[in-house]
Amino acid sequence: MSQLAQSLILIGNPNVGKSLLFGCLTNRYVTVSNYPGTTVEITRARAAFGGETREVIDTPGTNGLIPQSDDERVARDMLLTTRGGDVVQVGDMSNLRRTLLLSLQIAEHDIPFTLCLNMSDEARERNAETDPAALSETLGIAVVATSALRRWNIEKLKRDALRPRKATIHATYPQPIEDAIAELTGGDLRGCPTRGMALSVLAGDETLKPFLHGDELARYDDIRERAQSRLPVPLGVAIANARVAAVDALIGSAHSHPTKAQNGFRDWIGRISIHPVWGVPFLFFVLWIAYLFVGKFGAGFLVDKVEHDLFQDRLNPLVIRFIDFIHTPHFLRELLVGPYGIITMALTYAIAIVLPVVMTFFLFFGVLEDSGYLPRLAVMLNRLFRKMGLNGKAVLPMVLGLGCDTMATLTTRILETKKEATIVTLLLALGVPCSAQLGVILAMLGPLGPEAMLIWLGATVGTIFLVGWAASKVIEGNTGDFILEIPPVRIPKLSNITIKVLARTEWYLKEAVPLFIVGTLLLYVLDALHLLTAIQRALSPLVVGGLGLPAEASNAFVIGFLRRDYGAAGLFAMQRAGHLTPTQTVIALTVITLFIPCVANFLVMLKERGQRMGLAIAGFIIAYSFGIGIALNYVMKAFGVTL
Amino acid sequence: MIHPPADEALERLWYQREKGRDVRFETTEDEERARGIVRRHRLAEILFAQVLEVDLKDAEQSACELEHTLTERVVDSVCTFLGHPPACPHGKPVPQGSCCKVYSRKVDPLVTRLVDLPIGSSGTIVFIAPKSMSRMSRLAAFGLVPGSEVRLLERKPSVVLSCGQTSIAVEDEIGSEIYVRPQ
Repeated sequence: MSQLAQSLILIGNPNVGKSLLFGCLTNRYVTVSNYPGTTVEITRARAAFGGETREVIDTPGTNGLIPQSDDERVARDMLLTTRGGDVVQVGDMSNLRRTLLLSLQIAEHDIPFTLCLNMSDEARERNAETDPAALSETLGIAVVATSALRRWNIEKLKRDALRPRKATIHATYPQPIEDAIAELTGGDLRGCPTRGMALSVLAGDETLKPFLHGDELARYDDIRERAQSRLPVPLGVAIANARVAAVDALIGSAHSHPTKAQNGFRDWIGRISIHPVWGVPFLFFVLWIAYLFVGKFGAGFLVDKVEHDLFQDRLNPLVIRFIDFIHTPHFLRELLVGPYGIITMALTYAIAIVLPVVMTFFLFFGVLEDSGYLPRLAVMLNRLFRKMGLNGKAVLPMVLGLGCDTMATLTTRILETKKEATIVTLLLALGVPCSAQLGVILAMLGPLGPEAMLIWLGATVGTIFLVGWAASKVIEGNTGDFILEIPPVRIPKLSNITIKVLARTEWYLKEAVPLFIVGTLLLYVLDALHLLTAIQRALSPLVVGGLGLPAEASNAFVIGFLRRDYGAAGLFAMQRAGHLTPTQTVIALTVITLFIPCVANFLVMLKERGQRMGLAIAGFIIAYSFGIGIALNYVMKAFGVTL
Repeated sequence: MIHPPADEALERLWYQREKGRDVRFETTEDEERARGIVRRHRLAEILFAQVLEVDLKDAEQSACELEHTLTERVVDSVCTFLGHPPACPHGKPVPQGSCCKVYSRKVDPLVTRLVDLPIGSSGTIVFIAPKSMSRMSRLAAFGLVPGSEVRLLERKPSVVLSCGQTSIAVEDEIGSEIYVRPQ
């Protein structure tokens, strides 16, 4: 790292386009979607602002500076710890009220900032435009209207961002609170806080503790208690009400109330998708499209073309001929194109079997994300998720898990309580197959007919609900409230989808292919040392006796430890070679689906949930996945079910 | 609590007449008294059962006590607050008071739970009575405080409301904790 660059923090309400703006400012892509909570971590990148360099910091969206969940806390802490950096508040122009509610709190923390009213194009469309010049005069800070999507007015923002000022926006609180603020900020206390900190203290924000002077905590409590005794409503409520009143007075005086915009088709889709009756068929329609596109087109047509026509028939024979032609030593030949060869196994699996599915899935998923359907899905499923000790908000990480369980595990930070985060982490690792694996599974189940699909689907979906329900009883704690912003339905932009698909595909290649190669090397070495047959023999009571699979399937489970999709791809190859009967295929697939997704997911689990909980979850999953497989085997045998 | 037997007798008489029996009050004064008792009883039931969500048995018991103590002004305020309801939670008619006559053409309640609004219509928040305090601050962050204007967009499968340009999905329970004055 060269010399330190001054930082520039982007902060704002959820789903106002901070990440897109971050991309505009730094030319670095971070995931952008149309639902709150896409960003759960801090992202940094350097960028030139005129002649100066700034380290731009993207933060998770927050509704206020009194955090309600982990991701909001990350944003608040970033703002309070990076004193001296430039701050840009990003807001949705259509949503001035919420924007200013946050502005007011930043001002109360004595932090100079610039206000960026983003999504101005959408505001114009909805007839909710605001005049930045007038607002700038009212607030006493620079206000820039932008559209990050169209890269409009970014240069002006870059200029104004370096000239932050303290906003003059001010709220007056009931007298007992004002008195308490005076006492807290009066200088008598050690490390006396700003007005904003004083208000957070009064509102009872426990997460503020690290920022306060440790010796004075008792006095803070004392002051808060006295103020509370003079008020009929809880302090936090009185503070929130006064803030809204101050913002409303400001909006009422300077700006006309925006009229409700009519947008025929998109409004209609928005209404249909959360309709008590039509919402359900709409959901099935979306699933059906997903199946057609990812299952039939990606996993069926594309995999067949690439794997069969390209790799099996052309590429691999060509490589083998070339290797034979240059008289490669035997061990090297085996390493590259043998049964456990890097080209014939690792690359064929990664590129030919998994990649087409991953790409079609990311494409479909990108459209879904940007359209704003996911929060609406949360609305549809809230009541169902309640039964699992979760609320509708948990739909977001669960659906994201279909893209990548590891990433989704990080997204559990948007959930308010530890109980919810733990349950979702468990369910993600246990029952939600990631796109790579899902593709392989669909490709294998496709030719087997609907019964096989139903058994597999029943086992996985049943597991999610059953284990979720049981976990909600076993794990202590509360479920948070379902309060989720529903963004407007938007027509996905081809450019954003393209970038997103490419970025995610690149990430897949970087993350998965090396592990595929490591896995192959492991198998190769084990095979060369004749340990593979030993492992197969050792696992034989479980794999052959318990699950009723050929001994060879042990390989898939061994590499399944590295990546679940790699294990699935191994099963795929076995099925193609005719080594698995349909019944065996279903059993093997069910076990590998319920298995731990990959090493990366395991590590993230340990990091996010702590060693003990992480290991407990992993142990449970391994036992459960094989248990279900064995049960399935015996039940199908007992009833004489053959597929 | 000691109930003046006359009250009880009058009340019973009113109930019998409601069932269609041929009974008569001795004086119109008695009839007015009976009417007042039943009115207070049923309004108190609605207040407890629907607004405060006390279970129906407790509501009825408390209503039995309150029917003898509430003053007419308080009763009229309660009646207005509840929107001059035509029937109690058991479906029995609430005798009308003088306050109801003023509104005889407009029977919309003054204050109602957000979830009871017709879909697509809006109201001004009068008060929020949440089970937990953190809920209140979270709602406030979205600008949902008394005085704000909200519109009910959907009741099922989840309550969805809009406030300004923001649509927010909330817990069913929250939808019945927000009280609004319909527009």
